[in-house]
Amino acid sequence: MGGTNGSGNRRTVEKQYRELMEYCQVHLDQIEETLPEPRESFQEGLAARGISRREFVKWTSFITGVLMLPPMFRPMVARAAENFNRLPVIWLNFAECTGCSEAFLRSSYPNVDDILLDTISLEYHETLMAASGKQAEENFKKAMTDFEGQYILVFEGAIPEGMDGKYLRIGSEGKTSKEIGTEAASKAAAVICIGSCSSFGNVQAAKPNPTDAKGIRESLGIRTINIAGCPPNPVNFVGTVLHFLMFGALPPTDSLGRPLFAYGKRIHDYCERRSHYDAGEYVEEWGDAGAKRGWCLYKMGCKGPYTYANCGKVRYNDGTSWPIMGGHGCMGCYEPGFWDTMAPLEKPISDQAIGVEGVESKVNTVFATLAGLTVAGVAAHAAASAIKRHGPEEETKKKAEKK
Amino acid sequence: MENKDTAMEKRIPVREWTVPIRVHHWAMAISIFFLIVTGWYIADPFGVSSGETVHKFLMGEMRYYHLLFGIILTMLFVWRMYMGFFARFHANWKNFLAFTDWKNFVKQIKFYLLVSNERPEHVYLYGPLQALSYIGLFVMIFFIVITGLILTGAGYDHGLLGLAAWILTPLERLMGGLAVVRYVHHILTWLFVLFIIVHIYMAFWYDIVFKEGTVSSMINGVVFKAKEH
Ligand code: HEM
Ligand code: SF4
Repeated sequence: MGGTNGSGNRRTVEKQYRELMEYCQVHLDQIEETLPEPRESFQEGLAARGISRREFVKWTSFITGVLMLPPMFRPMVARAAENFNRLPVIWLNFAECTGCSEAFLRSSYPNVDDILLDTISLEYHETLMAASGKQAEENFKKAMTDFEGQYILVFEGAIPEGMDGKYLRIGSEGKTSKEIGTEAASKAAAVICIGSCSSFGNVQAAKPNPTDAKGIRESLGIRTINIAGCPPNPVNFVGTVLHFLMFGALPPTDSLGRPLFAYGKRIHDYCERRSHYDAGEYVEEWGDAGAKRGWCLYKMGCKGPYTYANCGKVRYNDGTSWPIMGGHGCMGCYEPGFWDTMAPLEKPISDQAIGVEGVESKVNTVFATLAGLTVAGVAAHAAASAIKRHGPEEETKKKAEKK
Repeated sequence: MENKDTAMEKRIPVREWTVPIRVHHWAMAISIFFLIVTGWYIADPFGVSSGETVHKFLMGEMRYYHLLFGIILTMLFVWRMYMGFFARFHANWKNFLAFTDWKNFVKQIKFYLLVSNERPEHVYLYGPLQALSYIGLFVMIFFIVITGLILTGAGYDHGLLGLAAWILTPLERLMGGLAVVRYVHHILTWLFVLFIIVHIYMAFWYDIVFKEGTVSSMINGVVFKAKEH
């Protein structure tokens, strides 16, 4: 019974994947016709940067896995990658530290992701472009009209809304980030937010948020794909764009706009130290014996249990490492408001603060004091009751005595 | 001596708590006790440094029992709500309205603060202050159950709770993420500790002051009331 059911199920799933595959092929044929010509052939670019065909094929397997697609989609991923640099991209830098761009574009040796991002058709990127001043602004306008309805708009950084947005004005016309963002978003095919700043506001929006910074989605009220993280993983950005190329649609997301393939499970669920968590083996102090043996960082304030991210699965810098592997707990940077909700970043929840600003204390200290006071209060009450010989009996007795 | 004997004679046993209410009370007490112990371990675990990792599963066990009693508490909560609306004896939700009797409320506070010896009337199943604090308790249970279910459903192993994701996930977002959910769960735990201290003390205080057998009443269901004269 179960067997037939199982294979029946598998047949249905396989059929669905085959249909998806056909759809993907048709869509790729279509975009190969319509996308603007590339400035440089992708395969030649790979060869010039010393990536062999074999390495490229390996990489397609990896990305297919990251996107949670079955292996038969590898050739589709390869085709999409070949068209990656034909997709026009406008990249806007708002209130941010450029760490995301750094994470994406700078690594000690190139891998396929880096090359994709190196050769990406950046029509406008404030940090990377050669143009400046008036010329830069013209490029921006030209890119918006040339590729209207076709370009991917990438936001890096939050929008400070305080003082009518005057905390951030760009260019000789002195436009606020909100004005620029609204205009660019209105003509984009899709909007992708890179990093936690554009996704949720991040450190700019942390208490007390003096500039009233907000994430793009909240500020502009538009639908965005949020590749959150501080910095996010380039693989998740590349995966999202490849998904867009393959299926003509952005990947399914959670309610915060984060693609489910990357943000569907928690750090804690993917963590290589998890067996030490379950066993009760914890690092108690930086550099202690447990730290040397790779034990769980829960007591050092690891935020893995509260953070949805695939860091442990894809890692950073071509799969080299990631924070928990490096020996420091997760600090929850993929989550909205993590500076406020997860502070102190190197301490567990018992050490979180409670109270209003200025008169804050650790929650455990506050409540242990309250519990102590309660016990003392109860004891005082007991003593007072004993002295007063309280109760209705005494009352009736007194009445009886009077009589 | 003689006086006391006559006082004893004057007392008549009254059925105060039905069997389901008593079973429910102790099931809650046991679950909450184990939830606090295991929850405490989850919040501030002590490490086990000797032995091989493969043979150890302390946090795993604690989480297992925490979730087990968590689900039991969830069902107990649903059961109590059911009894509040559909039970025929001594469990009706209207008893929780005792606090709306303001005169009696003031009387009870005065009596508790040892200011007056006038005893608050016993109209409902609970006194006015009791009613308020039990409403508070149910609110606390409600929130700790909801936050607990969110935390359970968040993991890789959400199992059947996946069916409730449509409501749990939006709630998680509304609260501001799992870290906040966990923080609220932690604070609620402390509120339970405070509640339990006062609750146990008041039960014994009643027992001693009224001599009606309050403490044992949750076991045998009977309080011994003084005869009206
Ligand atoms: C009186 C009732 C309860 C108490 C006192 C209690 C206490 C606690 C405490 C202290 C923690 C640790 C939080 C921290 O890190 O600071 C915790 C975690 C947790 N509780 Fe409860 N809890 C109760 C009810 C429940 C219920 C009803 C459920 C679910 C059905 C539940 C599920 C959980 C889960 C899933 C965790 C997180 C475990 C992990 O991530 O490893 N709890 N609880
Ligand atoms: S190191 Fe962090 S994410 Fe990993 S098991 Fe421990 S608490 Fe979870």
